[in-house]
Amino acid sequence: MNRKLLAAATSIVAGALALGGCTPQAAPTTQPTSGAPSATGEKVAVVAWNQAFESYNNNTQDQNATANANITYLANDTIAYYDKELKLVQNPSFGKYEKISENPLKVKVTLAETATWSDGTPVTAADILLQWAALSTNLNTYKATVGDDGSVSKPNEGDQVYFNAASPGYTLMKTYEVGDNGKSVTFTYEKPFVDWEILAAGPVGVPAHVVGKKALGETDNTKAAQAVLDAIKNKDNAKLAKISNFWNTGFKFMNMPSDKDLVVGSGPFVITDAVEQQFITLSKNPNYKGAHKPKVDKITVRFIADAQASVQALRNGEVMVTQPQATADILSQVKALGDAYTVQTGEGGTYEHVDMAVNNGGPFDPKAYGGDAAKAKAVRQAFLVSIPRQKIIDNLIKPLNPNAEIRNSFTTTPSASTYAAIAAANGMQAAFGTGDPAKAKDILAKAGVTTPPTVRFLYASTNTRRQQEFQLIKEAAEQAGFKVEDKSAEKWGSILPDTTKYDAALFGWQSTSTAVGESDANYRTGGQNNYYGYSNAEVDKLFDELQVTTDAAKQTEILGKVEKILVDDAFGTTIFQFPEITTNSNKIKNVSSIALSPNFFWNAWEWEIA
Amino acid sequence: MVRFLARRLGMALGILALLSVIMYLLLDVAIDPLEELRTDPSPNRDQKIANRIALLDLDKPVWIRYLNWLGRFVQGDFGLAWRSMTPVNHLLTTAIPTSIQLVFASTVIAILLGVTIGVLSALRQYTPFDYAITFVAFLLYSLPIFWVAVLLKQFLAIGLNDYINDPSVNWALVVGLSLLSGLFWLGALGGTVKRRLITFALAFAATFGVLAYALGSGWVQHPRIGVVGVGAVAFATAFAVSALFAGLNNRRALGAAFTTAAFGVLAWFGCQWLFFYVPMNELRLLGLLVAAVLVSLLIGWLWGGPDRAVSMRGAAIVAVATSVMVFIDRVFQGWEQYSASGLIRGRPIATIGAATPGLNGDFWIAQLDKFTHLLLPTIALVMISFASYTRYQRGATLEVLNQDYIRTARAKGLPERLVIVRHALRNALMPLASIVPVDFVAMVGGAVVTETIFSWAGMGSLFVRSLLQGEVDPVMVYVMIVGGLAMVANLIADFLYAVIDPRIRVNA
Repeated sequence: MNRKLLAAATSIVAGALALGGCTPQAAPTTQPTSGAPSATGEKVAVVAWNQAFESYNNNTQDQNATANANITYLANDTIAYYDKELKLVQNPSFGKYEKISENPLKVKVTLAETATWSDGTPVTAADILLQWAALSTNLNTYKATVGDDGSVSKPNEGDQVYFNAASPGYTLMKTYEVGDNGKSVTFTYEKPFVDWEILAAGPVGVPAHVVGKKALGETDNTKAAQAVLDAIKNKDNAKLAKISNFWNTGFKFMNMPSDKDLVVGSGPFVITDAVEQQFITLSKNPNYKGAHKPKVDKITVRFIADAQASVQALRNGEVMVTQPQATADILSQVKALGDAYTVQTGEGGTYEHVDMAVNNGGPFDPKAYGGDAAKAKAVRQAFLVSIPRQKIIDNLIKPLNPNAEIRNSFTTTPSASTYAAIAAANGMQAAFGTGDPAKAKDILAKAGVTTPPTVRFLYASTNTRRQQEFQLIKEAAEQAGFKVEDKSAEKWGSILPDTTKYDAALFGWQSTSTAVGESDANYRTGGQNNYYGYSNAEVDKLFDELQVTTDAAKQTEILGKVEKILVDDAFGTTIFQFPEITTNSNKIKNVSSIALSPNFFWNAWEWEIA
Repeated sequence: MVRFLARRLGMALGILALLSVIMYLLLDVAIDPLEELRTDPSPNRDQKIANRIALLDLDKPVWIRYLNWLGRFVQGDFGLAWRSMTPVNHLLTTAIPTSIQLVFASTVIAILLGVTIGVLSALRQYTPFDYAITFVAFLLYSLPIFWVAVLLKQFLAIGLNDYINDPSVNWALVVGLSLLSGLFWLGALGGTVKRRLITFALAFAATFGVLAYALGSGWVQHPRIGVVGVGAVAFATAFAVSALFAGLNNRRALGAAFTTAAFGVLAWFGCQWLFFYVPMNELRLLGLLVAAVLVSLLIGWLWGGPDRAVSMRGAAIVAVATSVMVFIDRVFQGWEQYSASGLIRGRPIATIGAATPGLNGDFWIAQLDKFTHLLLPTIALVMISFASYTRYQRGATLEVLNQDYIRTARAKGLPERLVIVRHALRNALMPLASIVPVDFVAMVGGAVVTETIFSWAGMGSLFVRSLLQGEVDPVMVYVMIVGGLAMVANLIADFLYAVIDPRIRVNA
């Protein structure tokens, strides 16, 4: 039996081996893989980003995230964009803008003939007006407001017009005029607006004809765009309600939508593939007629939340560019990658600063000295002078960004072209220096402060870097004759508006554009971000002037004056710009990063694969 | 029985309700949905805050929000991930399968390996082998997974990919691994000094030979299994299964197993044609597997004899093993094409994600892509969970081996193989019955750290992401799912007990 069995088995195996001759050789490997280099030679740039794409309309309040902004930037053109020096560079292939009159401020936006959506439909005034209708919220029949009891009324999205957006500049544009055969729109501002240029640079958001098709049921592209235009012109609330509903939520997708209309864009790339929380792929837009003709065929953005993982993915060739959260560990890792990689350190969009409360009866409030404003100011100056700004940078930031320097401006980011002029005008470096406890002690003594003032210091308790900063500040301030109390909290953000709980606060403001009007709310009397009771009529007046100044040189001059007063009043001090580390494989060329969104995507059309 | 079930379910619901209240309150304390708006310097911040308060009902007291949530939850509406305004139900449809995909293979492998090594370790109690296994188990147990993952990526992905592109054999490593293998088999099989030496020499030579061949012949660069590999595995499995569960004296069982293996080899040829002409998908493959098992059962039945069940069982195991090999072989046939793809660029082992974006291959290429992405996380997870299984199984086996019925079995002259396999192993599996269901359920909960490090978008990363972004609804659903399943798993474990051990009744 056993032998028979073995014989049977052997014969089967032998037969099987013989059969081997007639199997489909190496099996059918004929299916086309798009990535096969021999087949197409497609050039794919794969980059990492730490957050996932979630919506194609990042102008809505709830979908406004850098991860979305990067993708919409790649898929859409603008009239002007930020270059490496954060200067606005014109892109006449999409359009132009001009200031027609100063008072009232009239801005004319004209679209170029080459401005085309990826489905072939031309970009028209309808698109501009849709963006205006949405961002200005001037057509909203509902406005979210907080009542006295803290209750909030809710939008009824069925029949009310409610664009979930907010842009104070757009709100000022009250009237408009369509011209040039539907290729231009002239907006008239209610009052002059300092940052009109930034608004005019990106006048188009999501395509109006797609909104018209989806919201109003039109089928023809041109008619759909016209329908949206008419609805806005005639303030047809029934139609606008539908339009606003679709605008608010219609462009949300994480996976590639089956409806290709949703990915229509005006830029060099168009979304062709997406998988939720994993990646999004943009391919060359075949209908693109603009100036930013890309040199790569595809860009795939992979979402990698873990910084370490993104560096190893870079090393393993799975991504070509990564910009993980900057820490000393990450920097030493990317530096160790070797010659095949380029590491660029630079400044991000957020800056660290110390503010002081002058409305809480604390050591910086004149009330504490019987209304002696000069004495309170001297105490503030002494505290600011003691802050070891240089030491903080040397110890905590230089390891990440060797070129890091003290930031000496309240309003302007150091990579901006106007920074040098403003920093020179405000005298912050001379006033607060690099940190000098001895000098601070002198100032205190001269002001006649004998008992050490107690400073309650607020910062984020969960942030290691701020803990270290606090230690350095505390040490120096105590040498100067202060007592510093640690008032750090996890929910420091919610404590911020309540100055009875702290005297000085250390945290970061994040700049999202180079808009000069952005700092207004920080320093104006009763300003939204001025929690500290700071008030200076001169500053308010200058800001009023700034709001209506549209001349760039004049703006710089006013900002310089504002900052000079802030320094003289010892409002607070700025310390450093957050560092940023961009690393790319040398297989990809022309990669660099800017401090503002869209970060390293700013020149994606210049990327080249070696 | 019904009363027991009703009582347990009632208790589970009560616990879940309590859990949901506590979690909701804790989340309300811990999460600040307005956090990033507080440092937003834009002039319209108040408006943004008002909008968000309206969206999330933050102006209402927490218990009202809880009741609203509960009302929706029991109706099957799991709420909204408000940052992206995506319904949580939608997020779950991708997160749950991803987690299962990630954890399934590693759980199965860890159980198989853990039980085997655990039993071996118990049988060789207090030998150097036992000590070594104990040491390794504790070592693995105490390794933090984020660190293991980083090392795996460095050596197994980056290192192996570098090797594939620039092969240079590290002979010291090869010899070291061969020595380890020799020592392992020496310890595991035991016996007289002479037998041990032979075992060692054989294991060393075999490992060295295989490694040297794989490295020297370029097999690592172009892995192939082929009909020879499939056949080798099939017949080896047939032999091992028969030897273990039926005994080599049971000629019918042996015959059934070998016939099945031979059939498997024949099927390999058929499958090549089948795969060539018929595009495959998961369902069809599953159908083929079922067919293979049915055929094997038939073979076992046809071999007949008084103990048909044993033959059928052995044949079925062989059929499953062979089918898996045929599948793996076909997947690896796409290796050349996969590796040469412009998106892989000769670096096949991946460190992140579940798939290569934009790789438009057929079903088989997609499977291979899954393999290369699953490799590292699976190894990491196996290393961690293998340890606890080994320890449990060792302890359970030792306890059983000291029982009277084992002594009785030995006293009546049963061969040691039968004592271990029939009398000891089955009883020693009891404790695992309470662990395995819980572990399988934990799959749905995902592996939080592993998913983050390997950039898998499963339940774990959904949980962490939602928590960090201040989204209450997805976190609550996660907690409820994991909590609910944990209770179901415990219930299943109780029933399993009753099935395995007739002394236990579920009525109490």
